[in-house]
Amino acid sequence: MSQSPTHAQRSDVFLLDAERTTWHDETLWFVRQKRDKAVYATPEFQELRQLASDIKDHTLSQLAEYLEQFEAAALANGVRVHWAADADEHNAIVLGIVRAAGASRVVKSKSMLTEECHLNPHLLANGVEVIDSDLGERIIQLRGEAPSHVVLPAIHLKKEDVGETFWQHLGTEKGLTDPQQLTEAARQHLREKFLAAEVAISGVNFAVAETGSVVVCTNEGNADLAIGLARVHIACMGMEKLLPRLSDLAVFTRLLTRSATGQPITTYTSHFTRPAPGKEMHVVIVNNGRSQQLGRPDFRASLKCIRCGACMNTCPVYRRSGGHSYDFTIPGPIGAILSPNIDMRQHVSLPFASTLCGSCTDVCPVKIDIHTQLYKWRQVLGAEGMLPASKKYSMKLLSRVLARPGLFKAGGVAARLGLRLVPHALSHAPGYNPWAIARELPAPPKQSFREWYAHQSSVSAK
Amino acid sequence: MSTRARMLAAVRASQPAALPLPAVPLFEGEASVGKFTTVLESIGGQVVSLSHLNQLAATVALRYPSEYRVASALLRTTVAVNAATAATILESIDLAVLRGAFGVAENGSVWLPEAAMLHRALPTIAQHLVLVLDRRDLVATMHHAYGRLASQPGGYGIFLAGPSKTADIEQSLVIGAHGARSLTVLLC
Ligand code: SF4
Repeated sequence: MSQSPTHAQRSDVFLLDAERTTWHDETLWFVRQKRDKAVYATPEFQELRQLASDIKDHTLSQLAEYLEQFEAAALANGVRVHWAADADEHNAIVLGIVRAAGASRVVKSKSMLTEECHLNPHLLANGVEVIDSDLGERIIQLRGEAPSHVVLPAIHLKKEDVGETFWQHLGTEKGLTDPQQLTEAARQHLREKFLAAEVAISGVNFAVAETGSVVVCTNEGNADLAIGLARVHIACMGMEKLLPRLSDLAVFTRLLTRSATGQPITTYTSHFTRPAPGKEMHVVIVNNGRSQQLGRPDFRASLKCIRCGACMNTCPVYRRSGGHSYDFTIPGPIGAILSPNIDMRQHVSLPFASTLCGSCTDVCPVKIDIHTQLYKWRQVLGAEGMLPASKKYSMKLLSRVLARPGLFKAGGVAARLGLRLVPHALSHAPGYNPWAIARELPAPPKQSFREWYAHQSSVSAK
Repeated sequence: MSTRARMLAAVRASQPAALPLPAVPLFEGEASVGKFTTVLESIGGQVVSLSHLNQLAATVALRYPSEYRVASALLRTTVAVNAATAATILESIDLAVLRGAFGVAENGSVWLPEAAMLHRALPTIAQHLVLVLDRRDLVATMHHAYGRLASQPGGYGIFLAGPSKTADIEQSLVIGAHGARSLTVLLC
């Protein structure tokens, strides 16, 4: 069975600090509320969601054609296009471009794809300095951590943690916690890196088949500053990022930030179509499991994700367990669908890290049926014999009991009696009843429903 | 087989039957100066009205310190910038005054095409940014905005909405992350 720790075991670590857990929960809920405000202020929001969903469905149904169209347009614009089947190939291509440019210093703007491919360690191991330039990413890079959210990578940290990190790595005053002053210190530090970098790497929020453009959305302007200064720009994109037409961007730019943080648009929504005169622009198109997901009808829709993070902000499990407990590049509800596609065994517990309340599906701007897919993954994992033993046997027992009314009745009597007699320490023993951790069991009723029902009908008959 | 051919074949083999591409309606909205101003101010920008473009130099002189190193194609400036200007010179610029092509009222953004930037890094490397916009060039929604671009986004272009900002430290909003510390749109 799966050897890696489960989601529940990893979230135990996060839950040790109850105050921080509460703060994490409330902060993300606040972001979710900002999303709601922005959504209600946009009268056609539900229409836009349907359009976005339909445009993505269409694009996925003709993805090969759109990839070819994009490539042809990009080549005509003087952009060099590369194809990477997996993470290793992606990393090798990027390193090759960096080497061909004779470069040893790279600045990177936020990209979940390069995280997914573990690009940073690969470049570092090959003697290339790589600096993450998004403030949140830089903070976690200095701490040697991974992002814990797709939009808010350092959301698990408090300003004291950032102050401590900057004191250690950037030489700020000890005990400095003012966000304004900390940001200023990062601004000065990163400007030096921007000026020195020969190559700039960015992610891609959207790619347009019609024009061969890639669109990058940031609030800090780090991608634009880095790319504007560097001689070589490498844009790394998952192949599901394509949209057919430039005008489709109207739908997606309207949905993305409203769903993510409640902003009407990111500060910089930048369209890179041609390299600047005398400079180079490269696009690396990456598969890494995406074509496989495309071939699974039940899970295909997960490729429509635009990484807004809304499903994370709304998820009661994510908010109370933290992004690192998912141990996957994309955490939260969408990560729990994407991860078993990559490795079923390693991520077997993630589709169970959900209450199936459906809130993720309600907020998703591209209408991915997230909670249905979580439920379907559970069935797939069950059929593959990968359910954790505690779930497998209790489910089997339950289905046997539910199939036999007599047994169910006897069980009910035993449970009502038992719960009254069993000492609290035993009914709440963590090894036996994980449900009762931090919860009280309801007081057992005196009557069963059948007894109550029989009594009711005899009373009304009188 | 090349990686490219293998990837395309894998995608073709997994694609479902073709689904239709919907037409996107031209959603309307308010294209007023009032709406644009309210939205841009809510995201940290400022909007100032000029009665005529010939007031530009005086307005800039009034609002920004005289020792500022200014780059612009619209004003007589202290630093000459073109696409070949070195980063060490760009780095010293305090203020860039650039012409925006059009504004979008629903989100307070201004489309800044490459031709208006002098250098691609100028809008983000300058400490402060002024965008000059004709009030007749306001559109209601992003649908109208992309309609204006009509599948011609140029080599590089930005919808720029407000000063550079971040909320990465405990969700506290801080203005001035890497790019311009302030943005003023001068409407004439
Ligand atoms: S699944 Fe939907 S809500 Fe979640 S990040 Fe992706 S687009 Fe946003």
